Amino acid sequence: MQNEQFQFDDWEEALDFYFGEGLTDGLPVVPPTPERVQAMLDHCGLGAPDILGTEGIRHKQFPAGKVAVSAVMAGCLPEHFPVVVAAVSAVCDRAYNLHASSTSTNGIANLVLVSGPYASRIRMNHGVNAFGNGNRANAAIGRAINLLKANFYGSISQEMDKSTYGHSGKYSFCFAEDLATSPWPSLAESKGFRAGSSTVTMVAANAPLQLETHGDRDPEGFLTAAAHAMLGFGPRISEMVLAISQELMAYVAASGWSREQVAAFLHEKTLRTAGEWDDWRRMDKLPADADRDELVGCVAGPDRITVVPAGGDAGEFMAVITSWGSSRSVTREIVAPA
Amino acid sequence: MSRIYTLDPRDTAETAPPARALRPASLDGKTLGLLSNNKPHSEDLLRMVAGIIGQRYSLAGTVEYNKGGHQWPADRSALEDLASRCDVMIHATAE
Repeated sequence: MQNEQFQFDDWEEALDFYFGEGLTDGLPVVPPTPERVQAMLDHCGLGAPDILGTEGIRHKQFPAGKVAVSAVMAGCLPEHFPVVVAAVSAVCDRAYNLHASSTSTNGIANLVLVSGPYASRIRMNHGVNAFGNGNRANAAIGRAINLLKANFYGSISQEMDKSTYGHSGKYSFCFAEDLATSPWPSLAESKGFRAGSSTVTMVAANAPLQLETHGDRDPEGFLTAAAHAMLGFGPRISEMVLAISQELMAYVAASGWSREQVAAFLHEKTLRTAGEWDDWRRMDKLPADADRDELVGCVAGPDRITVVPAGGDAGEFMAVITSWGSSRSVTREIVAPA
Repeated sequence: MSRIYTLDPRDTAETAPPARALRPASLDGKTLGLLSNNKPHSEDLLRMVAGIIGQRYSLAGTVEYNKGGHQWPADRSALEDLASRCDVMIHATAE
């Protein structure tokens, strides 16, 4: 077990200590007792010194014990910990660029997108209020990553974390794919993982933009609205996520459109000339000899758009989530005990 | 009354702080490296700083390198090349 222990007379004193040391996100945390931390580790068969990942820029290692401390503080149950473990492995991938995204003025949150049957096993929310409050697994898993980033990795608000605005997802941003109403193979399978597997996809995510559509049952209609929303974020975004809620997903299913078709349509719809983007001041000023007629998309290609069924059962809503800078989303399989 | 024990979420591993390069006593006769992160105007700013330094010291010269973006570290080979050619480096962010 880890040997850096604090002693208190009661819970209130412990809470005050964590607040006083700046070790919370502004909300109370669950005091990480050795017993609670050990229960996390035991659930995954891990030892405290086991390294879950080595971050790709600063080469900082994440020991399982420290990750478990953050998970306890966030309110995780042991069965949530396999998702946290997979998420930590994902953000350590160099392509994710945890270091730069954790310091940038852009103020991203680490979106934890869970796909596969493990989400329902731990009762994650993929439906009504999917991005919102009220579900312990969603809230605690997302919060665990953010507490770890601040307390262990050092991305402390107003210190290393220089977000101009930040957003509420920096408390927690975690939801599951809606497999119950989706006509598609899971996101996990579409990313090449075996059938029945569960995955976590990490996205260095800006705040979601929710949009409502009006009466189109043809995917070309309401996805045009989604493309218009995407245009607002400008060209050359690294990646985008489009969450489609249940009513609209029913229309997608009825149309027979695949996930890949949706992404391809969105990409095509967001192509604009470099000159138009330049006129709108949405890209670095073009050199005089640049090709102003070159077509430039919001993202480099359809494979940079993750389409995921999620959200409530009433209302024709979608949500667009954009990623930070050059960060790439990273997906890892969740390894859960039988 | 039983005591409550809790654990520290911070990185408490003892690691040596990164070693700082030795600072020269003077910039006279030194080659100054300018490492741009490709932010708008960063090269202009670095050249302005080099110009001011050049008014105060007799620099042997300057070497400019643009690492192509502010989101990623410079390539190791580029850093090694700069280290071999420069005595001191300036790296800055600008908009």
